[in-house]
Amino acid sequence: MSISKITLLTIFIPIIGSLFIPLAGLISKRTRSVWAVLLAGTTALLPILLIPQAFSGTELIIRKALFPGFDFILVIDALSIFMSVVSSFIGLLIVIYSLGYIKDDANQNEYYLMVVMFIGSMMGIVYSANLVFLYLFWEISAICCWRLIGFYRGKQQVIKADKAFLVTFFGAALMLLGFIAIYNQTGTFDLTQMRGLAVSSTAVLLILLGMLSKSATVPLHTWLPDAGVAPTPVTAILHAAVLVKIGVYAFARIFCYTFQLPDFWLQTLPILAVVSSLVAAAAATVEHDMKRILAYSTVSQIGYIFLGFSMLNPLGVTGGLLFILMHGLSKAGLFLCAGVVEHNTHKRDIRELGGLIITMPITAITFLVCALSVIGIPPLGGFFSKFMVIAGTVHGGHYVAASLALFTALLTAFYLFRLFNAVFLGELKVSIVEKTPAMLFVIITLAVLSLLAGIFVSYPARFADVAALEILRYVK
Amino acid sequence: MNIDILLFPILLPLIFAVMGLFLKSKKLINYWAVLGSAAVLYCAYVLFGIKQASLVLPWLGHGIDFDLKLYGFNAAILLWVNIFTFLVVLYSTIKMETSTRIKEYYLYVFLTVMFANGSVLADNFVLFLFFWGGLLITLYMLIMLGNLNSYKTALKSLILLGLCDFCLLLGVVLLWKISGSLKISAISLEAQGLAMISFLLIMIGAIGKAGAMPFHNWIPDAAIDAPVTVMAFLPASLEKLLGIYLLTRISLDVFHFQMNSPVSIVLMTVGAITIVFAVMMALIQKDFKRLLSYHAVSQVGYMILGIGTGTPLGIVGGIFHMLNHAIYKTGLFLSSGSVELAAGTTEMKKLGGLMKSMPVTGLCFSVCALSISGVWPFNGFVSKEMIFHGSYETGYLIFTIAAWVGAIFTFASFLKAGHSIFFGAKSTEIPEVKENSWPVLVPMIILSAFCILFGVYSILPLKLFILPALSGHPEVLAELTFTHNLSLLNPIALISMGCLVIAFGLHYLGVKKGQGKAYLASEPVHNLPIIKTIYNLAENRVFDFYEQGVKLIKLLSKVIYYTVDRPIDFVYERVVTVTGRIVIFILRVLHNGRFANYLSWSLAGLMALGYVMGTLIKKAG
Repeated sequence: MSISKITLLTIFIPIIGSLFIPLAGLISKRTRSVWAVLLAGTTALLPILLIPQAFSGTELIIRKALFPGFDFILVIDALSIFMSVVSSFIGLLIVIYSLGYIKDDANQNEYYLMVVMFIGSMMGIVYSANLVFLYLFWEISAICCWRLIGFYRGKQQVIKADKAFLVTFFGAALMLLGFIAIYNQTGTFDLTQMRGLAVSSTAVLLILLGMLSKSATVPLHTWLPDAGVAPTPVTAILHAAVLVKIGVYAFARIFCYTFQLPDFWLQTLPILAVVSSLVAAAAATVEHDMKRILAYSTVSQIGYIFLGFSMLNPLGVTGGLLFILMHGLSKAGLFLCAGVVEHNTHKRDIRELGGLIITMPITAITFLVCALSVIGIPPLGGFFSKFMVIAGTVHGGHYVAASLALFTALLTAFYLFRLFNAVFLGELKVSIVEKTPAMLFVIITLAVLSLLAGIFVSYPARFADVAALEILRYVK
Repeated sequence: MNIDILLFPILLPLIFAVMGLFLKSKKLINYWAVLGSAAVLYCAYVLFGIKQASLVLPWLGHGIDFDLKLYGFNAAILLWVNIFTFLVVLYSTIKMETSTRIKEYYLYVFLTVMFANGSVLADNFVLFLFFWGGLLITLYMLIMLGNLNSYKTALKSLILLGLCDFCLLLGVVLLWKISGSLKISAISLEAQGLAMISFLLIMIGAIGKAGAMPFHNWIPDAAIDAPVTVMAFLPASLEKLLGIYLLTRISLDVFHFQMNSPVSIVLMTVGAITIVFAVMMALIQKDFKRLLSYHAVSQVGYMILGIGTGTPLGIVGGIFHMLNHAIYKTGLFLSSGSVELAAGTTEMKKLGGLMKSMPVTGLCFSVCALSISGVWPFNGFVSKEMIFHGSYETGYLIFTIAAWVGAIFTFASFLKAGHSIFFGAKSTEIPEVKENSWPVLVPMIILSAFCILFGVYSILPLKLFILPALSGHPEVLAELTFTHNLSLLNPIALISMGCLVIAFGLHYLGVKKGQGKAYLASEPVHNLPIIKTIYNLAENRVFDFYEQGVKLIKLLSKVIYYTVDRPIDFVYERVVTVTGRIVIFILRVLHNGRFANYLSWSLAGLMALGYVMGTLIKKAG
């Protein structure tokens, strides 16, 4: 199979295949679940076949002429392959976890349809090199996200889903305006023809608002904690695999890979990233809802990724990419552990939980491992990504930003352990044992991968290095 | 496959840690652990003989290599790390026998050894951070093995040492930026300007690990909550070795500073403050283990003070004190564990007259206690004398005085502890006790023997273990003379001995005032005006860096949450929705269905359009 075919299949197998999920559901529940896992599995497998291409250090661009200005253009390089491998793999794990989590709920056809299409739209965004198609896939993901957050159909859920949709759509609409501004300047939507181009600050601002809203960065972040009303695997997907990573990926693709950022933004972005990180960490320290704490933690960690990317030096960008991987693994693990607790106890307020390490030892230990990775303590993977981002920031001369980022890391340790202590240690308040092996299998996998990613960090690091090199080719 | 010998101290403990998980019987696990620690010790011994080796493997790129290097000094540290591990493991076979989580215990012990060996051997700062940071997790897990409340102390240690580690990380990154290299042995900078900030940050990492103020608060708490073997293993020995090892490396090799430079003053101040305040806290403790833990803090002050002097004698004294302290403090903690094992408590009030029933423990305690108090001819005397001389040479007498004050109260508190536990009248509150079995006693005997040996033949450990630290500084080595150790008749040694006499007097008066109850011997000092208030504040944790820090973090978080996060959410939740509703309401009112209404709108719109078009045409014209 040629590389271009693999890429096309990666995008369209989940998007088109997902439409058949309701049909499979007509046959039997089992068929539908198998079909959904099969789709997610194929989507996870295909990008892995592209890894040799990534290491070849060349980029491959595929054009399918539609009509002038709107060509379907795909860019296959280390960056897009890295991103698709990480996202689709974590996506697959979450789909498997859903088999256990969602099995007693209504509307499962819709659930799997939306989840698989969500992953597919992510693949579309990752490989698109045409801004218009990027926007199209972007909005597909927004629609999937909207339906998934409101999955339980209660009044509260619907309102929160609307909030998420409206905020991200608001951002996306502004971003589209930014794309048009760029089109006015260059006469094309093709990213590959615009590399090294300097763009106006206004266009940057408009596009950036779109990214920030999608990646839930302060001040466009509060929809993300509210999205915790969704089923837990969905929140995990939003936080770890797809949604918030769309924004940071787009940032890397558009601002690091393609355009030259104006000086004003080079100075402002690190501050924005660190402030976002700090504000969210503070909020996580105050909250009492398990999922809201973790959601704020995501907002906080996304700040590090932006910080790394905005440095535009090899260390920072490699760190940012590694961060996407490490954060994806461990944050998915944290959410899914929280999901196990919630699924069994039907409680999310940490004041009502306690002592669960006695009855749920596996969940407790996987939670601990993932938490240590998010904090950035060796030998777990999170250490290396955080170290590289901080190193990149210091090499970029932003000492204050680096110090604040480390202070935030300390806050991270504080609030994650506050959560861990409240839920798993102390006095046992609700006695419930672990069940559903599919869910346990997934959380254990994620914890083990967080550890292995730290011990064998040189493999993902080399991958990220190649991608960073490619991204920074036109950066002065 | 050919595995480099430098990897053995790292891989062997890992193998023993993992394999131990598959063993079923408790007895087998104990044998396995003793065998494992002996194997690693042998390996360290072989490396100590080799003295020179290095290994560089590619790792992450960007100058981050898997870089191990062995030289005289870290070979010595490696040897001692593993000697302590072996002794503690041997001791644990009896002391931890009743624990239901013995498997976990040995798992964490071996992982700790792996990380400790790794950080001693690492010659790349990132690799160093990798191993060093791993110790955070094993320490956390080891403390968690203690009583029900131990998780709070475990978290305390994690947050305090995490703070230190993050400072260390920032310092390393800054150093990388300044020097352009991460290879520890290749960097050599003057500690000025940005490099000084980098030095201070790395220093925080080093002294934090060693347990200096204000990063010490978890140690006294852990003394109560964690198993005593953990205390003997980490805060007493390994963490001191590692922390002071790092401090030595950065003070001697990576950075340079002159005597009485700002960096030197900072170090000496931290050292002096740690000595005095921690010893004052130790003095009034009523629990044997808690008393020891405050001394574990106080003694770090001497090491930091010694290295901070920047004088050859002070530096060597500081490093020597690290080794001596690890020996006698581990011995002391093990003796407290022995008492706990036999009598079931370490509260001094309940104990008394144990010397008769536990002679070996009592004797070992006495040797170690005399060493820590700096009594001639034990090892503590030699290293403390060197530090006194070193600090005296700097000309800042205040630091020497602080060290002397520390000496007075150290001896006073050990007189109190020894008197109330081993001597005096037999206690009626505990059942009949008897001496423990040999795996408990042998480690204590060995450590006490070292105390005497290193005191009498101090030149032996100095030559073997300490002076290699100065291998890059021949000019310093040339200046060093150790003759003063042999002569007791110099003013400084006489003053130190005077301090011991004062301490004895204090103790005597205290016991007299406490009507012969030795555990009340510190009460006269405790009850002095002003000092009593300070003590009360300290007991209420007003000076607890962690407690206050947590309060500050909580406050700060609340402020940010309610002034930034919630207002932003308010905009989405209220401002946007309310504005939307108002706009919709206005539009709805406007759409009243009357024809005239719509017609007037259309006309107004037409006129506006006409105006715009007109101006545009005019412009174009």
